[in-house]
Amino acid sequence: MSDKLKDIINKQGQQQESVVGQLDDVVQLVGFVIGNEEYAIPILSIQEIIKPFTWTRVPQVPKYVLGVFNLRGAVIPLIDLRTKFGLPTKKQNEDTRFIVMRHGDDVAGFVIDRLTMAIRIKKENIGPAPDTVNGENTIIDGVGKQEDKIITILKVNKLLERDF
Amino acid sequence: MDEFQEILQDFLVESFELVEKLDEDLVELESHPDDLELLNGIFRVAHTVKGASSFLNFDTLTHLTHHMEDVLNKARHGELTITPDVMDVILESIDLMKALLETIRDTSADDGIDVAACVARLDKISNGDLSGLADATTAEEAKKEEESVTEPEEEPDYENMDPDDVEAEIERLLAQRQAEDKAKREAKIAAGEEVPSPPPEPEEEKEAKKEEEKEKETAVEKAPAPVATPTSGKSSKKEEPKAATPAKRAPATVEQTIRVDVKRLDHLMNLIGELVLAKNRLIKINDDVEERYEGEEFLEELNQVVSIVSLVTTDLQIAVMKTRMLPIGKVFNKFPRMIRDLSRELNKKIELVISGEDTELDKSIVEEIGDPLVHIIRNSCDHGIETPQERIAKGKPEEGVISLKAYNEGNQIVIQIDDNGKGLDPEMLKDKSLQQGIITEKEAENMSDKEAYTLIFKPGFSTAAAVTSVSGRGVGMDVVKTNIEKLNGIIDIDSEVNVGTSIKLKIPLTLAIIQALLVGVQEEHYAIPLASVLETVRISKDEIYTVEGRSVMRLRDDVLSLVHIGDIFEVERILDASEHAYVVVLGLGTSKLGLIVDILVGQEEIVIKSLGDYLKGIEGIAGATIRGDGGVTLIVDVVALMSMAKDVKTTDLANADDGTSLTNEKTKASDYTVMIVDDSKTDRTIMRKSLEPMGITLVEAADGQEALNILKSGDYNFDAMLVDIEMPRMDGYTLATEIKKYNRYKNLPLIAVTSRTSKSDRMRGVESGMVEYITKPYSSDYLASVVQRNVNFKPEFL
Repeated sequence: MSDKLKDIINKQGQQQESVVGQLDDVVQLVGFVIGNEEYAIPILSIQEIIKPFTWTRVPQVPKYVLGVFNLRGAVIPLIDLRTKFGLPTKKQNEDTRFIVMRHGDDVAGFVIDRLTMAIRIKKENIGPAPDTVNGENTIIDGVGKQEDKIITILKVNKLLERDF
Repeated sequence: MDEFQEILQDFLVESFELVEKLDEDLVELESHPDDLELLNGIFRVAHTVKGASSFLNFDTLTHLTHHMEDVLNKARHGELTITPDVMDVILESIDLMKALLETIRDTSADDGIDVAACVARLDKISNGDLSGLADATTAEEAKKEEESVTEPEEEPDYENMDPDDVEAEIERLLAQRQAEDKAKREAKIAAGEEVPSPPPEPEEEKEAKKEEEKEKETAVEKAPAPVATPTSGKSSKKEEPKAATPAKRAPATVEQTIRVDVKRLDHLMNLIGELVLAKNRLIKINDDVEERYEGEEFLEELNQVVSIVSLVTTDLQIAVMKTRMLPIGKVFNKFPRMIRDLSRELNKKIELVISGEDTELDKSIVEEIGDPLVHIIRNSCDHGIETPQERIAKGKPEEGVISLKAYNEGNQIVIQIDDNGKGLDPEMLKDKSLQQGIITEKEAENMSDKEAYTLIFKPGFSTAAAVTSVSGRGVGMDVVKTNIEKLNGIIDIDSEVNVGTSIKLKIPLTLAIIQALLVGVQEEHYAIPLASVLETVRISKDEIYTVEGRSVMRLRDDVLSLVHIGDIFEVERILDASEHAYVVVLGLGTSKLGLIVDILVGQEEIVIKSLGDYLKGIEGIAGATIRGDGGVTLIVDVVALMSMAKDVKTTDLANADDGTSLTNEKTKASDYTVMIVDDSKTDRTIMRKSLEPMGITLVEAADGQEALNILKSGDYNFDAMLVDIEMPRMDGYTLATEIKKYNRYKNLPLIAVTSRTSKSDRMRGVESGMVEYITKPYSSDYLASVVQRNVNFKPEFL
């Protein structure tokens, strides 16, 4: 009996340790799909996720900037990640969402095809961006490895940077 | 150190205000050299600045103001007459004082400016006729004494003292002061003078209080009581001379004011902005509700509430706007001095007449308006007003007059600058511009006088034969134009040779919440600041002419160049443009432009919001606003639009684009697509059953709105539509009218399927663009044959 108890206590101890360990080097991400790829961004840079609604076109901007929309009184730019990533445009459907991302004072809404889930991933499972994309200019922060797939983690500050 | 900064800020704000006032007073003083009240006022300013700066250890400033004070003190005792030469020195010293204050503002220290020369001159004046002015010397000595007392006060190193020592030091200093004051008062009482009760001197008191707070917090509770004593001592000293000559200066009615950080006002303005948006939305909802529940009792109550809310919001907005308003006198104040300097420099006699200085403007505009006015007035002095000899030769009074007027006109403020100088000669202006290569010969020929006047605003244009220190570089008036345009203002010039020139600047009252004209192009809306809209006209397409590749139209006597808003904002022309168009005539600065739009939506009060960093700097867009329905509408930047219009090619309105052909090659029956629009599920099923045997693709919509959305989405290429007439949301007639607006669907066969059988119904159907009219009930074969006929169904697919 006491052996069993010890076992249980040990196990709990281990679990706690692993929880503590997770807190230290676990990154929380939100995954979403654009085209056939799954991407993720840090959960803390997401201000909110909303269902699509109407926006106003803005002239003289690249095609991927759809326009601006009203988020409770603030006028926020809306960027279509499909177009930005060079994919053909697709009609918005019921899975489409706007992810409003914030980095510092910069805020913008991004159109994505579909949300997947919130992901916890250990830091050691995140590899650097592939060598082919060079240095500072990439919007890829790293590649997260999961059991059955890999997820591209994006740099929010790069996404919010004006590049035109 | 923060508290010191705070004190410093207060000191600077106070001093700049005083100095501004000073300039005006001094010029006034020159014309009335024996106005004692003015002199006293000026003396007080110098004294106040001196007192405060000595507290803050600005030695150079103290030194300068001290000597100014000497001269002024003599003047007000009548021991010195203010001659123009004396005034020059005094004005110079005030300029130095300003420079010093600016240096302090920028660097928190007052070194780097040499005041020695000026001080020497001031001394010379004050010593110039010293003989026989014994009492003045004593007064001076007394002051010097005080000065010498002040100096050691500041010397001990408070920063490194421990609290007890500081306290002791303060006690010591206060005791010292009190003793001094007591002695002074006693001496005065002995002399039989009445000691006037000290007028409130909030600034010095505050200064003193804060200084002590800085030195030591624990001393604070002790500070207020004793501090009052030195202050009263000082003011009683100041009152001394007044007591000699009975003070006629009644205690000025003190305006009850508090100083508020501009940021707080800005924040308040933002909140009001939100409220205005909410109000707009409420009004819209009210309208919708009114439409839907017409005649219901609760509507009246709702109406009342909505109108009260909107009334109060408007009042609130005006009230907050007023708190941001400053009298334009703040800007006008510096001009008497400027005119004085200029007239001496240019050897001209010029009088400046100012009126309407109480007219109020938003703070941000007051800040922007100063520079343009300086340039215009310099220009008037240099080029407008002639030399006295010339004026006499022309039979004009020797003294030229420049009048500066401000007044309200509707939602705008007008600043008018008139001079009675030589006026603008349009021919001369044209010649000069030709020489300087600003315009071509052809342009010159076609120019009206009014257009010629506007040449003075062209960058690089100058009529001056030589560059003087006053003007002639050809930049000034360009600055005027740019700054006024930045404020969405309009410049209007009128002139007559040898009679004078009149320049009017029309500026909107405020910048954050504006009246706008909402216009529509295709399905988009844009807001145009109403201040820039001169008028709107409705024209037919054949009134538009093309000259040298540009669209123009005749507007009364003028030729107005036109540009289509769609060309500027890259709007896709999907809808068919009708025979008529609206032209919004925009006026800005001195130029005009006609903007062609599809529809005028109306006038609305809008709140300007920035597009943020990501989208900033888009040409032609000044910002965005949120409308009553929650949508975002872009605000047109009229300045940018004007310059963009020059580069836009005209597109012929008549053949915007041909309807995209829908006659795609059909290879199988299912390539034919027909939409069924009916609100009844049963009817839709009946139609579907009748048409399914053909093998064509069928799409269903439950009402007009849904049908229109499906059409707009462009997912299908429809070959025909079966439309019911009675439908909720949008009926069949409206749907047909809407569809026919699209070039693309102009030739789409619309087949009405309805139980309405009257002739008038049929007529309406034809009018709205229906090609066939099938009445319910019908046989399946009949329906199928009608559809086959209309879609050119190839028999081989049967």
